[in-house]
Amino acid sequence: MDPKEAEDLQLMSRVAARDGAAFTRLFELHAPLALGLLGRILGKRNEAEEVLQEVFLQIWMQGDRYDAARSSPRGWILMMARSRALDRIRRRESARRREEAAGEEAGDAVPPLGTERLEILERQREVTSALGLLSPDQRRCIELAFFEGLTHTQIAERLKAPLGTVKSRILLGMNKLRQTLST
Amino acid sequence: MATPHSSRIEELLPAYALGALDGEDLRELEEHLAGGCAECRGQIDLWQRDLEALADSVAPVEPSEMTRARVLRLTGAAPAPRRIPGWLAFAAAALLLLAVWGAAGQIRMGGEVRRLTAERARLATRVEALGREVDQARAEARRAARALQVLAAPGVQSVVLAGLGPAPGAAGHTYVNPRTRDALFYAFDLPPLARDRTYQLWFIANGKPVSAGTFAVDPRGTASLRVDRTVDARDIQAWAVTIEPPGGVPQPTGEMVLMGEAS
Repeated sequence: MDPKEAEDLQLMSRVAARDGAAFTRLFELHAPLALGLLGRILGKRNEAEEVLQEVFLQIWMQGDRYDAARSSPRGWILMMARSRALDRIRRRESARRREEAAGEEAGDAVPPLGTERLEILERQREVTSALGLLSPDQRRCIELAFFEGLTHTQIAERLKAPLGTVKSRILLGMNKLRQTLST
Repeated sequence: MATPHSSRIEELLPAYALGALDGEDLRELEEHLAGGCAECRGQIDLWQRDLEALADSVAPVEPSEMTRARVLRLTGAAPAPRRIPGWLAFAAAALLLLAVWGAAGQIRMGGEVRRLTAERARLATRVEALGREVDQARAEARRAARALQVLAAPGVQSVVLAGLGPAPGAAGHTYVNPRTRDALFYAFDLPPLARDRTYQLWFIANGKPVSAGTFAVDPRGTASLRVDRTVDARDIQAWAVTIEPPGGVPQPTGEMVLMGEAS
């Protein structure tokens, strides 16, 4: 097992017992990526920060619901962040936030510092290149589903493409992503 | 009738993990999953793991100092001072009170209370049936007056709660009178629960959840709860509602449906 994941698992079990120091460490390790994801989904920095607080409040209150058999701690945190962000979007039912916020996104990213950042950047390059191996259409469909929470039908409407085409792009894209990530 | 596991079902799994499945496909897969397919469960987890990689593809962003401080405060470190303007909280509270009770044609404050008191004194000696109705109205007026003691209190602490996954359209408000420490809670658009479940309200103080009681919703999905003598309002960091067995539990175990942080 990756030593980082081992540390995360230990931290999660201490967080479940309401250990403040472990929770602080978990926040330091995972909040930046979660906030980056939230910013990408929500498009607005201040809203992303609000949802980040909600996510970590939920982790503090429900740390004992984390199931190591289902996902890594980081995965649990990131997926929770994504769910909360999509919940908020659905509440707002706004299709224009990304255009409005586009001006804010540039310049919010933190410049890399230290080994942890370098590793994150390496992983980003690996995934970005994995995504890069997908056709642009496949990548676009998967990104619309992941970052905007759109369903097959909604993606088809957005792209003005046939529903069957969207379904197969997502299926092929996900399979290709799996192949690339596992090699 | 649940569909048996098949390669067709497996093809639906990546889109399901993405949350992109809808329509007939979604219905078919959910029926199949309701039959308890462990193979599918395992595969969905694997697809979710692949999706974590998508989450990795964004650039990390360092949280602001304020966010960091507010999150870490949850663990029971020294709370930051509150800054809700009293007049704003009162205005919101007054509107809320009217919305909760005014819409049902219920009691308004002040003049109504005086009028009913006078009327009751007259009617009580003449018509017993009417007297029963007025008793009920008076009790409601008393409840409303007590509610105002919290809602209109100087420096009232208010928190807005937002709905989570199981109840994304739900909302809630809590108000704490900082002097008496009495609190009022209102919820809207919460779905009704099965008979073996109840809603339970919690506040988090010094990093620990404390039960504030259980409640049920009316047919409109509305609920209210009065919590007498909580703790020092400045120590309350957040409020939440979870779904628990009837009678409630000492510590939260069930799914969270509403949550809000004190500012």
